Amino acid sequence: MFADFLLDWLSAVPGFAVPFALAALGLLVIEKAGVLSLGAEGFMLVGALSGIGAILGLGSQPLPALAVSAAAAALLSVLFSFLVVSLRVNQVIAGLSFVFLAQGLTGLIGTTEGWVNRPVEGLRSLSLIPLVDIPVIGPVLFRQDVVVFLTVPAFAVVAWFLTRTLTGLRLRAVGDGPDAADAAGIGVARMRYGAVAAGAALVGIAGGYLSVGTARIWVEGMTGGRGWIAIALVIFARWQPWRALAGALLFGAIEALIPRIAAVGVQVPQYFIAMIPYLATLGVMIWTCLRGNGGSLEPRALGVAHLREDR
Amino acid sequence: MIRSIATCAALGLAVAGQAPAAFAAPFKLEGEPKVAMILFGPKNDGGWSQAMDEARQRTEKALGISIPVAENIQETATSIRPAAELFIKRGYNIIIGTAYAFSDTFKELSEKYPKVAFVNGSGTTTGPNLESFYGRTYETHYLCGMAAGAASKSGRIGFVAANPFGIVNWTINAYELGARQMNPAAVTTAVYTGAWKDPVKERAAAAALIGQGMDVIGQHVDTPTPQIVAQEKGILATGHHRDMREFAPAATQCSSVWYWDRYFVPTIRKIQAGTWEPRPYGAFLSIKEGGPDIVCCGPAVPKEAADRIMSERQALIDGKQIFAGPLKDRDGIERVVDGAIFGDAELWKMDWFVQGVVTQR
Repeated sequence: MFADFLLDWLSAVPGFAVPFALAALGLLVIEKAGVLSLGAEGFMLVGALSGIGAILGLGSQPLPALAVSAAAAALLSVLFSFLVVSLRVNQVIAGLSFVFLAQGLTGLIGTTEGWVNRPVEGLRSLSLIPLVDIPVIGPVLFRQDVVVFLTVPAFAVVAWFLTRTLTGLRLRAVGDGPDAADAAGIGVARMRYGAVAAGAALVGIAGGYLSVGTARIWVEGMTGGRGWIAIALVIFARWQPWRALAGALLFGAIEALIPRIAAVGVQVPQYFIAMIPYLATLGVMIWTCLRGNGGSLEPRALGVAHLREDR
Repeated sequence: MIRSIATCAALGLAVAGQAPAAFAAPFKLEGEPKVAMILFGPKNDGGWSQAMDEARQRTEKALGISIPVAENIQETATSIRPAAELFIKRGYNIIIGTAYAFSDTFKELSEKYPKVAFVNGSGTTTGPNLESFYGRTYETHYLCGMAAGAASKSGRIGFVAANPFGIVNWTINAYELGARQMNPAAVTTAVYTGAWKDPVKERAAAAALIGQGMDVIGQHVDTPTPQIVAQEKGILATGHHRDMREFAPAATQCSSVWYWDRYFVPTIRKIQAGTWEPRPYGAFLSIKEGGPDIVCCGPAVPKEAADRIMSERQALIDGKQIFAGPLKDRDGIERVVDGAIFGDAELWKMDWFVQGVVTQR
């Protein structure tokens, strides 16, 4: 009985963790280049709507629909970059206004196109044979949809890219010391445009996964604040990719756990459980503060616009 | 500490609850009625707002008038006020609002424009020219609970609920009381999502309930997600707001639906005739008065059960009370004494559950 519960819960965790993980990974790429993106919730909404739109409007399969989510969010992010990189608008204000823009835009398009509340088939789960036959961990780890299987490699690729490639080094240089990077001949604006587009694409996939993979329906404002949680996750992870993945798993585990204990009828106050990940976040913050800046890779020029003449 | 705060709050309500006298005189409208509606959501949201919009269209037909609508008006004074004032400046003199969070702004507007009539769905404020309205959804969910009890093979029923507020808690309680009419051993397990519309959490809740062996899923949230999940998994469901066969034709056995035109049409006629007197506590409408009703029953509800549901519906119209004493909560505390009925003020703060309801505390 308890084993069944545990298995059912654990096998649901990856699906709930993926949107947090991919959104946090995308934000991490953007922030490493020194751009603060509070518009995550907006990019997620754009991804969520365009994923469903690709299926209902273009008759796309779920997986290509996620590519549409990525493309739509990346496209919109160019406008964001134009504001904060080229025009050097305050990044906090630009990010917040992007959330409102995306809320209005996705609500309007979803309504006029008639995509609201239309169920779609969604992503199927795949079984990695023969690994799925391993008792206990088989079904948990190897019977998931394809995006879950691709999330861990995506983290590996980004971690490798940021620390082991020249372009990744340049991206981090732009985030840490844009003036020095500029002096060294790195195109700061171009690098930031690229990082924002790539990161927004990942955040867009996270949103698309919510609508196409998890809910299989579009409802206005359906991301429900998960973009904000992703922003907190990046801070929680001190800008380190693998810690962000761990944080996403923690939030996913809680989100999968809450309805399950309620359904079993265990009488624990649900608000207490809902509080746990935030409590953990606070705990990590306090712990890292007490240890000094232990292991934080916060980009030093985060949120600062670069103007060559200011040098 | 918490208990003493709760007691103080209850006392405050008791004092405030000393009934205000009815407003001095009926409302007098100048000129012909010109009606406009303000929706807080999109008019095709599949739920609350769409039900309002459909009622608007039926009201237009019944009265032979045209009722313009403004949709997606955010629940902040800075959005509501200009929307309402634009209509008023163009000569509209009956404004229909549709949200709890419109309450305060509608109160303000009703004082600023005493010659305009205001009604507000799920609002909490009233005045000489302002009436809030909502439906006694415990009646409809009691009947849907009967359908669920009749359709369930296991007697284990799931319920996806939004927030643990009075209006949601009473639907869950009534649902279980209805289910027990058909199957005395029926148990309703409710999962709160903590959000009015979050399809991700609703899917998780429905899937978790179905995973536990529930074979009928009831709901009080703002999207059709619980129905859709039930249909995907080949089990049954009951709906809220509108006829959910639109989204899950095979799963839906009964829906609690809104027919607000049954309130709008007579109210507008009364305003026109100069006999409208807003009720001091607002219009809290039963099936009999028009507002909530059911669409029932699907093929999984046997014929005899469906007949019984319809005769119970008639009994409710004839005055049957669902929360009538003696009624104990699941901890055995007597909540309604023998011969009494549960008052409206208590309903709105209902925070206890009848026997047979399983929820988190």
